[in-house]
Amino acid sequence: MSPRSLFLAASAFGLMTLQGTVQADVATEALVEPVADYKLYVLDNLDRFVTHTQDFTQAVEAGDLARAQSLYAPTRVYYERIEPIAELFADLDASIDAREDDYEKGVEDPDFTGFHRLEYGLFEQRTTQGFAPYAKRLMADVNDLEARVQGLTFPPATVVGGAAALMEEVAATKVSGEEDRYSHTDLWDFQGNVDGSQKIFELFKPLVIDEDPAFVERVEENFAAVEETLAHYRQDADDPTSGFVSYEQVSDEDRRAFVGPVNLLAEDLSTLRGKLGL
Amino acid sequence: MSDRSDNMPRCPFSLDRRRFLQGLGATGTGIAMAGLSTSAWARSCPADDMPDTDPEVTSAPTSTATTDAYPFHGTHQQGIVTPRPANGMIVACDVLARDRDGLEQLLRTLTERIAFLTRGGTYPQGDPRYPPADSGILGPTIAPDGLTVTVSLGASLFDARFGLADVKPRHLQRMTGFPNDALDPSRCHGDMSLQICAHTHDTTVHALRDILKHTPGGLMVRWKQEGTVPVMSPSDTGPTPSARNYLGFRDGTANPDTADTALMDALVWTGHDSEEPAWTRGGSYQVVRLIRNFVERWDRAPLAEQEAIFGRCKDSGAPLAGGTEYDIPDYSDDPDGQVTPLDAHIRLANPRTPGFEKHRILRRPFNYSNAVEANGQLDMGLLFIVYQADLEAGFITVQKRLNGEPLEEYIKPVGGGYFFTLPGVIDENDFLGRGLLEAAASHA
Repeated sequence: MSPRSLFLAASAFGLMTLQGTVQADVATEALVEPVADYKLYVLDNLDRFVTHTQDFTQAVEAGDLARAQSLYAPTRVYYERIEPIAELFADLDASIDAREDDYEKGVEDPDFTGFHRLEYGLFEQRTTQGFAPYAKRLMADVNDLEARVQGLTFPPATVVGGAAALMEEVAATKVSGEEDRYSHTDLWDFQGNVDGSQKIFELFKPLVIDEDPAFVERVEENFAAVEETLAHYRQDADDPTSGFVSYEQVSDEDRRAFVGPVNLLAEDLSTLRGKLGL
Repeated sequence: MSDRSDNMPRCPFSLDRRRFLQGLGATGTGIAMAGLSTSAWARSCPADDMPDTDPEVTSAPTSTATTDAYPFHGTHQQGIVTPRPANGMIVACDVLARDRDGLEQLLRTLTERIAFLTRGGTYPQGDPRYPPADSGILGPTIAPDGLTVTVSLGASLFDARFGLADVKPRHLQRMTGFPNDALDPSRCHGDMSLQICAHTHDTTVHALRDILKHTPGGLMVRWKQEGTVPVMSPSDTGPTPSARNYLGFRDGTANPDTADTALMDALVWTGHDSEEPAWTRGGSYQVVRLIRNFVERWDRAPLAEQEAIFGRCKDSGAPLAGGTEYDIPDYSDDPDGQVTPLDAHIRLANPRTPGFEKHRILRRPFNYSNAVEANGQLDMGLLFIVYQADLEAGFITVQKRLNGEPLEEYIKPVGGGYFFTLPGVIDENDFLGRGLLEAAASHA
C-alpha cells in the first residue's frame, strides 16, 4: 500500500494524526498557566471531597443507613474527577477506591477497605453495623490524600495525560457497570470522570486549537455525545446537579451508545500529550 | 494564549487564595518544569538490525510461509474457498456508527485496513511522543502470513438504524436455538462478524488489534472465539487427509471441492436466486456455531460407539462400510442401517440420496480450547464455520436433520450466529458493502 493510501485508511475515523510532519512544539512556559489552573481545580475538588467524606462517614458511624446510602455517590464524584492526580498515591488509591476483585479473597479480604467496602455494606448487606472502623479509616485516608496533594508538584505530562486516562477509566470500568456493582451508581462516577477529562481538555485547548482545529471539534462533539446520553438518565432532566438513576436502568442500546464516543475520546485524547510536546 | 494582564493563575472556584498559594509554596509554582524540553525526549533506539555476534536470545520458531499472501481484490472475499490455515478466529461485533454515512466510513476503513494487512508492509514511523501507529506485536514491518479477513453482516444490521431493511439478503435471519442448543446470549449474534485466519495466531491477533484501533467509534466487540487446526504433512501418495476435531475424528471429509468453480457457484456463492437482492451476488451465507465438546465423557465412550455415532472409522476416516476417507459412502445396500446406523452423524447430515446435493455446505471449522468449567472439565469444542449460497437449503436443512442425533449426548452448541458474507472488493475504487449501500440509496 502506498503511503498515501495508508494514511487515508488511518484517517478514515479522523484519528491518526499525520505525525512528525507538522509538529510545532508548544513553548514550555505556555504550560505553566493551564497546569496551575488544573492544580486549583484539583484542590477545589479535594476540598469538597473532604467535606463530603466527613458527612458520609459520619452518617455511617451514626448508623444512619439511608443517609449514608444517599451520600455515597455524591461524595465519590470529587474523587473520580481528580483520579489522574489521586492515583499518583498508589497506597491511598488502593485503600480508598479498590474493588473487591483487586483482592483474591474478595469482600472477605481484610485489606479490602474504602468506598467499595462501605458500598458493599450499605447496598449489599444493607447495614452500617460494624462499618465504623472502615468509615474512620476512609476519613483518615482522604485527609492524608489532601495533605499529600497540597504539597505535590504537578507533572505536566501526568496532567495532560489525565484527560485520556480518565476516558480509559470510563471505557474499562464504567460502561460495564462494574465500578459500583452493589449501588449501581456508576453514572455518577462516569460523569465525574468525564468532567475531569473535559476540564483538562478545556484548559489545554487554547494551545492546540490553532494547530489542529479538527481535533478540537471532534473531541467537543464526542464529549457532547456522551453528555447527551448521560442527560437521559438524570434524576431531574433539567437539573445537571440532580444525580443519576441506577445503572441497571440504562438500556443496552445506550450502553452501546456510550462506547463509540468514549473510545473515540480515549483515542483522540491519547494524542494530547504529543500535541503539546510532552 | 491569554489576554489576561496579571500573572496570577485565575481562580474560578470558591477557594481561599491564601490557601492556594500556601499549597503551591512548597514547590514554587507547584509545577514540574524540569525535563520538559523536547530534546530530553530524543530517542536513541537503534533500527532492528542484525547483530554481529551470536545472539543470546530465546529461539523463535521459523517458517517460510510468512510471505504467503492471498490477493485481496476479487469477485469474492478471501477466507472461504481459500485454503484453511492453522489459525482462525471469529470476532462478532456491534456496529456503533449512528447513520448510513458512519456505516460507509466504517466499511471503507475496514477495506483499507484489510487490503494493507493481507498484503503486508511497513507502518509509518511517528513522533515518539504520540502513541505508535501500530501495536508493534509483529514488528515495524508485517508479513502477510496467509492472512485473510472476511467481513459478514448479521440480520440486526438491517434493522431501522441504517435503513437497510429493504435490501436484506432474503434468507438472513437471527439464529434461533435448535433443540440441543444451550445458547449463551453473550456469545451469540452480532451486527458484523470478522473471520480472521492466518498461519500463525499472532498474525490474527495483530490484524484484530489493528482493525479495532482504526475503528474505535465504529465497532464494539461483542464476542470472540479463536481456534486452531492441526497442521498435516502433505501426503506423498495422494490427497492430504482431513484434519481432526477435538473428538479425534477427521472433520472436513467429503467437503465440496473448492477448486470446482461451477460447484462453488452452485453451493457457496449467492446470486443465482433471482429473489435475492442483486447486490448479494458473489457473497455467501456464513453460519458460525460454538459447539462445546464434552471431551472427558467422549474419551470414556467405547471406540465402537464413537465410530457408530459418526458413521466413520476413527483412525482412517473411512466410511464404516470400508475403503478410504475419500470414498463416498453408499448406503443403498444398507437400508436398515446394519453397517452405518441410520442416525449416524454423516448419514443424517448427508443421506446421499438423489436431490440432496443442493443441501451441501462448505465447512471451514477450527477447534477451540478455552478455560475450564466450574466442574473442572475442559471447555473445548468446535468453532464451526460453514458457507452456503442459501442458508435455508444449507445449514438449517442439515441441522434439522441432525436434531436428536446420538452425538448430541457429547456436544452442546452454546453460541454463534448467522451472517451474510459481503461480495468481494473488485479493485481499489471499490469497498466492502458498496453494492449494499448503493442498493439501499436507490431504494430510498
